[in-house]
Amino acid sequence: MKTKFFKLLLPAFAILMAVGLAFATEDEPVAQVAHYFLPGQGWQTVTVEDDCGASGNEACEYNGIQLYSERDFGSIALRKP
Amino acid sequence: MSNQGIHQKLVTLFSLLLTVLFVYTAVSKLIELDTFQWRLERMPYVAPYATLISWGVPFLELVIAGLLWFRRYRTMAFYASFILLGLFTIYIIIVLRYSDSIPCSCGGVISALGWKDHILLNITFMVFALLGILWSKKQYNMQSHQNTT
Repeated sequence: MKTKFFKLLLPAFAILMAVGLAFATEDEPVAQVAHYFLPGQGWQTVTVEDDCGASGNEACEYNGIQLYSERDFGSIALRKP
Repeated sequence: MSNQGIHQKLVTLFSLLLTVLFVYTAVSKLIELDTFQWRLERMPYVAPYATLISWGVPFLELVIAGLLWFRRYRTMAFYASFILLGLFTIYIIIVLRYSDSIPCSCGGVISALGWKDHILLNITFMVFALLGILWSKKQYNMQSHQNTT
């Protein structure tokens, strides 16, 4: 009986719990993009953390290159707290 | 209680924890498959394989979670867990060389973790998988030995 519990009920419980948690904690799809200029290749697009915005102490960078909100140097240079 | 008994219980516990982790992250990815694929398309190195990875990783995670509950395949599943988590960790470390502004393409609330927390989480589960390999192998060998004598 005990063996049966471990063999069947325990994995079933774990799977059910994980599936339930996955649906319960479904996060809002975040689709924030940022752009950086690569000499010779032009503007590139990457996804960035939610923290990256118009203000903050630290620059949001990709491979050491400043990220912008639009494909334009005149747009917001993204920063994070 | 003997060491063997404790090890057996811990192996079951590690299987349980890895199952919850893999099923949770796989289902979270599959619920938001489009978003997951979209994020992968913007990640360094893996972008050309975004479609393959977006289907392959959750599938692999579910297969491993299933195999963890078959005594015969348990050691193999622990090895697969260790390798998969290791690959994720290596990839994170490589990505961090680019930028720490890149969001995580992982499933569910785990995507809310910072990169460093994520590495810590992966390493913890890698340790579980490693101990699972050692102890389940020992158990399997002892059982095989008992069956042959």
